Amino acid sequence: MSQPIVAVDRITKRFAGHTAVDSLSLAVPPGVIYGLLGPNGAGKSTTIRMILNIYAPDSGTVRLFGEAGTGRDHSGRIGYLPEERGLYPKMRVLDVLLFLAELKGVDRRAARPKALDWLARLGLSDWRMRKVNELSKGMQQKVQFISTILHEPDLLVMDEAFSGLDPVNSQVLKDTVLELRARGKTILFSTHIMEQAEKVCDHVCIIARGKKLVDGTLSDIKRTHGGRHVLVNFDGARGDADRIFADRRQVAKADVSGQFAELELAPQGDAQEILKALVTSGARLSRFELAEPSLNKIFIDLVGPDAANPVARPDAEVARA
Amino acid sequence: MRKVLAVIRREFVERVRQRWFWVMAVLGPLFFGALFILPTLLIGKTGVKHIAVVDGTTSTFGATLTTRLNADTASFVAVRVVAGPETIDSLRNAVDRKEIDGFLIISDVAVDSGKAMYRASNVSSPVTIGSLEHIISETVNATRLEREGVNPALVAKARIHVNLDSKKVSGGKETGESAGQSFSLAYFMGIILYMAILLYGINVMSSVLEEKTTKIVEVLVSSLRPFQLLLGKVIGVGAVSIFQFLIWGVSTRLIIAQRRHLPGGGSMGDAGGIFQIPHVTASTAVVFILYFLGGFLLYSAMFSAVGAMSSNEQEARQAQQPVVMLLVASFISMFAMLNDPGSTLSVTLSMIPFSAPIAMPVRWAAGNLPMGEVALSLGILAVSILGVTWVASRIYRVGILMTGKRPNIKELVRWVRAA
Repeated sequence: MSQPIVAVDRITKRFAGHTAVDSLSLAVPPGVIYGLLGPNGAGKSTTIRMILNIYAPDSGTVRLFGEAGTGRDHSGRIGYLPEERGLYPKMRVLDVLLFLAELKGVDRRAARPKALDWLARLGLSDWRMRKVNELSKGMQQKVQFISTILHEPDLLVMDEAFSGLDPVNSQVLKDTVLELRARGKTILFSTHIMEQAEKVCDHVCIIARGKKLVDGTLSDIKRTHGGRHVLVNFDGARGDADRIFADRRQVAKADVSGQFAELELAPQGDAQEILKALVTSGARLSRFELAEPSLNKIFIDLVGPDAANPVARPDAEVARA
Repeated sequence: MRKVLAVIRREFVERVRQRWFWVMAVLGPLFFGALFILPTLLIGKTGVKHIAVVDGTTSTFGATLTTRLNADTASFVAVRVVAGPETIDSLRNAVDRKEIDGFLIISDVAVDSGKAMYRASNVSSPVTIGSLEHIISETVNATRLEREGVNPALVAKARIHVNLDSKKVSGGKETGESAGQSFSLAYFMGIILYMAILLYGINVMSSVLEEKTTKIVEVLVSSLRPFQLLLGKVIGVGAVSIFQFLIWGVSTRLIIAQRRHLPGGGSMGDAGGIFQIPHVTASTAVVFILYFLGGFLLYSAMFSAVGAMSSNEQEARQAQQPVVMLLVASFISMFAMLNDPGSTLSVTLSMIPFSAPIAMPVRWAAGNLPMGEVALSLGILAVSILGVTWVASRIYRVGILMTGKRPNIKELVRWVRAA
């Protein structure tokens, strides 16, 4: 494997009263879509801000592109979409884009045709001379997204990438992200919505309360953490299903809702035996599928129900320095 | 450095594009011009008055007075009317119909006791009344002297008009600046410095606040250091203020150059009183610009810290009070300094860095100053700017990424100490 694009080594960040990130390590390989997953308050944004050198870690190191220098030193190669979106409300759309590109070290004249091109691609050409605050929220989000990729960064960092996007814009964003990966760019994004992560991520890292629970490729994680699952759909007759699902030698856990059931097999369980028993008992099936567990299920199993309520953060807003 | 330039450019272009900049650019000179011109315009010439002189005297006094009134062609056109039973009533009607502006009633009493009557549609103009009084008393005096056998020509020859010519002495030379000019120069420099430092300091504050409340600051500080951002902002806003001064300077100069073509402009020199158009020397302009920049840097650093520690306009308005008060106090003390620019109070104020940007230029304009004092004051100011900016930029660096309640003093100290 080549050098990781982002190598985070045991970073810790304490704010007055609590530890937001606790000795976290992760490595983002080049050319992948990497999901940083965790419940609200898990330390995702703080981790991202430390990667970008907006905050300095209390201890630990961040290495980018396998080279020395902070996120700010490499900012020309990084695009950043923060969780809290915002642009200058009174500036013209095109001017905002050119200004932000300038801060990334792109010459205004070079940035201009690219900005116009992106505005056209996302259907905003007619709005380029309008002020930002005349645009709808969705259009502003698109403009901000353009500003994060206009300088053609090698690494795109998005905090809560899909929050607040309508389905259409969400699709546009997803398509663009996939296209960037196809061009060899690396994408690191955080989210607490597992369905989105499952659709686009190659790698994931699940964190809770500032600590890493698991990381790796999505398929590895599913293989090692999910157990074996069977999805069953009945077509009318259920036969003796309830008795068969209650057999703890075969089925560890059954989640039955009407005509549908998700079974987690017991360690010695055999899906073929269950299928045979069901058919013999007279059940009619429209689906019987050996499945990987959803990321959502792994996430909940790993994180546990109370991790979604992070420890109280007295004084949390103070001294984020 | 290119990134700082981008910030400077944005601050400058966006501000100059705004409507208020051009409103200020136009209103500024009009406002200052009005301060100079309006008073003289308002109490200046009121035009030619058509009056009748109702002559009830038994001597030639009425005829002499009429001739003398007509001699002042810029002010009066007088017609002598011999007093009769219906004269007063018909003249009152003439005033009503606006055929004449008024009428003067004189009799022999005028020469004996100096009493005369003037009836007119408008008696509130001090200039008209003053001129009338002046001409009548001159005529009465001449008539009385003649009556006593004194030759009026001799009297005229003996009289001399005293004109006190005051000039400021600077650097062992007369500067061509009169006392009135020095006073108005000091006065206007004080006002402009106060307004400009306040206006552009608050501009820096709202710029900081805008980036914080729109959250764009997080994107910005991922690309450049907070200090670079602050530096670009202060230089950008400062450039706007210098540009504004240039516009004001040029247009005010144009307006003043055109003042002779303004109605009543000819009388400016006399009627202007203490508000005379000052002669601004190069050294005065340098002192003004130096102290403006010093004051702007000092105060905008403080205002930027205020913006960074607030999370909305309302909080900022409260938090800015101590800084604004500091500036207002310096401005108010200017009036004490104008009377005695050399007093201990004035010297002290021109050394304290927070009041020096207003106090020193005012003292400079009002009177001759030792260069040593100016150098010392500038030195103290420069050191203070460095110190205040250091503290402010540390507060700024932490504050721009904060949300939630405004920090107290203890927390601010922790921000400043944070590595």
